[in-house]
Amino acid sequence: MGHTSARQPHHPLWTRASHGLNLLVLIVMAASGLQIYNANPVFGGRGGATVPELLTLGGWLAGGRDWHFGFMGLYALNLGLWLALLIQRRRRRLGELGDLTALKTSASAPRRRLSAHRLVYTLMLIVLAFSLISGLAMYKPAQFWWLTSLFAFAEPLGVNSWQALRVSHLATIPAMVLLVVAHIVLSWRVGGLRLLRAMAL
Amino acid sequence: MNRRQLLGLGLGGSSSLLLGGCALNGVSAAVGDASQPLNERLEALLQGQGKVPEFRPDQVEPAALLVNSFNGVPRLDPERYRLQVKGLVGRPLSLDLGTLAALPQHTCVMRHVCVEGWAAVVAWSGVRLADVLRLAQLSPLGGYLLIDSADSYFESWDLASALHPQTLLATHMNGAPLPAANGAPVRLTAPIKLGYKQSKWVTGLRVTAQLGERRGTWEDQGYEWFAGL
Ligand code: HEM
Ligand code: HEM
Repeated sequence: MGHTSARQPHHPLWTRASHGLNLLVLIVMAASGLQIYNANPVFGGRGGATVPELLTLGGWLAGGRDWHFGFMGLYALNLGLWLALLIQRRRRRLGELGDLTALKTSASAPRRRLSAHRLVYTLMLIVLAFSLISGLAMYKPAQFWWLTSLFAFAEPLGVNSWQALRVSHLATIPAMVLLVVAHIVLSWRVGGLRLLRAMAL
Repeated sequence: MNRRQLLGLGLGGSSSLLLGGCALNGVSAAVGDASQPLNERLEALLQGQGKVPEFRPDQVEPAALLVNSFNGVPRLDPERYRLQVKGLVGRPLSLDLGTLAALPQHTCVMRHVCVEGWAAVVAWSGVRLADVLRLAQLSPLGGYLLIDSADSYFESWDLASALHPQTLLATHMNGAPLPAANGAPVRLTAPIKLGYKQSKWVTGLRVTAQLGERRGTWEDQGYEWFAGL
């Protein structure tokens, strides 16, 4: 694929729009989520360490919930639409098992980077879809009890399903931070500024 | 500096403004006001689905149930306790604990979820709120239930949630009489609402057609009213 060719065509508008909107809304979701975290830290409960106020949004628990549940609909709609369109129209751009093989066996460094990058951004989409599922399981544990009960997997280890759910949902943030860093570094190495231009709004 | 870098800076700048919190705190309530009507409608739709599956009695987590109270722990004399039921009912009631105990008793082993984020599985037992409201001959004009507590905590519920078969006026917790800190002698419990909707030390029920200015102790400060689970 011509990622490094001199003429870098723009990516389709819909993917650029969803990409940008996702990033903005994700920041709102993460910051308001951390505000909710501070009302009762997932680690340590009432005595647990809280997140610095600088990283939070909403000012207090009810404010954080206003933002988190105010933007969850937009976040889910955008992500759902983006995923559906990507799968339908740009499937060959998404990572696949062949990329894992290329990563291990390809002699060409650019080819390996490209595969790594495809895997990274595809994994991000999976992590985000998972944040939606774990969020829904905590937002509506009575109505979506079957979703919530999936998180009983850690019960043999003495972690109840609610705590497993909270940890899983929170894990979205560190996972995404790592992946976004990898994504930026890889996209830079794959296509540099030209690629960034092609992707930015 | 080119356009994209500027864009990046702008993004970074606006996000730190967002993250900085305070600057936008005033907007939080507006965001909530804009999104809650739709969320509430979806929540009410979901809630029409009948009973919530219950936990096994051996799954209760007594240690996980934290105590929240906005005004201390009132001590009510069980002898003098009366539950007043008034408003849009055909037969206003003043029930003592003996009368409540004579009504059909139910147990619900449910997950009690606090808005703060913690949760605990609890077995609540008592009478169905629906049974009490029917005993009082609930009027079809009723739309909301106002709930008064001895510590002046106040709540309001939509009637559909109040009539849910797992919404109880609990007098027992995990098989023992309700401790004072948990709302003795009578408290509201339901697996379909967040903890702050589940008033403790309940002394009065009023059925109304409309919600008034006051919607609840925490709701009036900015927490969501429906608070379904
Ligand atoms: C929340 C975080 C992000 C997610 C989930 C995400 C996801 C994605 C996805 C799925 C693609 C492929 C789109 C397609 O081919 O249609 C992509 C491409 C791209 N993203 Fe991101 N991205 C994120 C953040 C960022 C950030 C912060 C930057 C840069 C500063 C960035 C730069 C790019 C670039 C340059 C491409 C084009 C890559 C290519 O076509 O090979 N992304 N991103
Ligand atoms: C549609 C999507 C989402 C829904 C329905 C949702 C729902 C929720 C709910 C109900 C809570 C409260 C949990 C509790 O009471 O402990 C919560 C907390 C939180 N959310 Fe989300 N969320 C969503 C997306 C996200 C995303 C994308 C992120 C991060 C990028 C995120 C980060 C957090 C964090 C950090 C917390 C605090 C964790 C805690 O205290 O348990 N959420 N979310």
